[in-house]
Amino acid sequence: MMPYFKFDYFGFDFGLVVAFIIGIGFGFALERGGFGNARILAAQFYFYNMRVLKVMFTAIVTAMLGLFYFAWIGWLDLSLVYVGDTYILPQIVGGLMLGMGFVIGGYCPGTSVVSASTGRTDGFVYLLGIFFGIFVFGEMFPLLEGFYNSTPMGRVTLPEFLGISHGMVVFLVVAMALGAFAAAEWGEKKIAKKSGRGVE
Amino acid sequence: MKEWFMKLSISKKLAMVAALLGIIALFIANPTDDNKIYVNAKEMALSTVKDQDKIEVMTLADWLIKEKSDFTLVDLRNEKEYSEYNIPTSVNIKMEDLLGSGLMRNQKIILYGNDDIAAAQAWFVLRSSNYKGVYILSGGLNEWKNQILFPKLALNATPEQTAAFEKVKQISAYFGGTPQLATAEQTTTSAASTIKPAIPAMPKLSTPAVGGKATKKKKEGC
Amino acid sequence: MIPKKEKSHEEKHFEPKPYSNPYVTGFGLGIVLLAAFLIMGRGLGASGAVSTLVAVGVDKIAPEHAANNNFYKEYLGDGTTNPLKDWLLFEVLGVVAGGFISGSLAHRIKRTTEKGPNVSVKTRLIYAFVGGTIMGFGAKMARGCTSGLALTGGSLLSLGGWAFMFAVFGGGYAAAYFVRRQWL
Repeated sequence: MMPYFKFDYFGFDFGLVVAFIIGIGFGFALERGGFGNARILAAQFYFYNMRVLKVMFTAIVTAMLGLFYFAWIGWLDLSLVYVGDTYILPQIVGGLMLGMGFVIGGYCPGTSVVSASTGRTDGFVYLLGIFFGIFVFGEMFPLLEGFYNSTPMGRVTLPEFLGISHGMVVFLVVAMALGAFAAAEWGEKKIAKKSGRGVE
Repeated sequence: MKEWFMKLSISKKLAMVAALLGIIALFIANPTDDNKIYVNAKEMALSTVKDQDKIEVMTLADWLIKEKSDFTLVDLRNEKEYSEYNIPTSVNIKMEDLLGSGLMRNQKIILYGNDDIAAAQAWFVLRSSNYKGVYILSGGLNEWKNQILFPKLALNATPEQTAAFEKVKQISAYFGGTPQLATAEQTTTSAASTIKPAIPAMPKLSTPAVGGKATKKKKEGC
Repeated sequence: MIPKKEKSHEEKHFEPKPYSNPYVTGFGLGIVLLAAFLIMGRGLGASGAVSTLVAVGVDKIAPEHAANNNFYKEYLGDGTTNPLKDWLLFEVLGVVAGGFISGSLAHRIKRTTEKGPNVSVKTRLIYAFVGGTIMGFGAKMARGCTSGLALTGGSLLSLGGWAFMFAVFGGGYAAAYFVRRQWL
């Protein structure tokens, strides 16, 4: 039964090999999607290229459907897949900061790694910024600890929180994603026509 | 239909598949039903608790003394019995709540009831539901009482048995038990003693840190 | 759905290839993520690896200081294992390799700085550093970044993951106007 690691099919050290291989796939996909390029990522926030939304939501929908059906067939024990605990307030505040950092710097942590590895100086400098930001957070942690640990909600998922079935949430996410994709395609064409800027 | 689908762009194909799976998911509702188990009749006939699925009470006592915490001890008896006495670190889960009680499929689980019967049933339920490391406490709580809480030394004990009993006494003391004192001197001097000792009291439950198994692990998030 | 781009000039061998169809890329990314769930029982991440490196760095320079800080302690572990033997760190090493492989195959490896036409390289790099600092700080406050929380938490339908995702887009769109010179 899956997840294999949690059923001791292999040990921790082999898990690190798996990590490296999965990382290669991750980096490959990010680069293919154009996420090693800050201009493409930043374009998301000016509506003229919605790649970030398209790639991210397609990935989420794919993995979500995979998890759902693997669990349904009985190959996967969903309760053994790690879901981080929710701390709603710090996560919203952190998310807002992250969004600002995203549009100011042009990357997020994963994409800056790809950007740096494909030669982009700005990606490398951005990565240095992340090191510095985490260091600042670490140094300020005694002051921030209270807020950091506030509003704990535990391992809570949308079906539990909304009180509806897992399948219903899956359906709603798929519907929302497809709607967003249709809107993105329509909007991109509209903006491209207006500004004369290409989609790429 | 097929031709029409093949003519679509790759993006539209992906969208169609996602939409279809999303709609089916709506009818499946919940991918895992915690109250259903599916068993193959033949497998069921062949699946019995074997010796390797049993843990001896002495082994368990040893683990508890060494504070091993890589297993979960499950008490299957009712709440009243559980509150009167339970083996340290055990959690009380009723048979009907076993699935969906938060027990993990990759955990080592040791089950006990008063005897082997309830534990064997629970063992079967969990094994049929893909729980991997499920064991039963051999002889259940009755055996725990016999061997750990109220061990007895036979009157005509050999010196080896007596020596072993000294060890058991220590273990028993650890769990607050009352060994039926029949030390070497007593067996020789008052061998004729026929007065049966009164039924010893069950050890009082000191509220131990049940469930407080702190997992010292780096978090898996990013 | 996606207009096929015709290159205006001749496609030379070393010409960088256009980026792939975003939906196909997203599907591929989703499969990688799913593989992580099925094999390891955990999702992807990125900022966690940097946190480990920062914690180890602080521990090397000022071990006492690190030991007094709960944040660093979490990444240093209990001392029984080497903190650098970390799943996310190895995963991010893979990201470096994977990005390089994909970039090489598509002739997109290039020493350059990505920026809008109206801003100097120096300004762009300052923005990059400041943005990275804010991102690093925010990622730790939120307990994850776009990969660890939005992507992973999103597909696991975690409440925190979804709230975070909307906050990221909200923060991005709110700040976009003020830095438009950099990109447009």
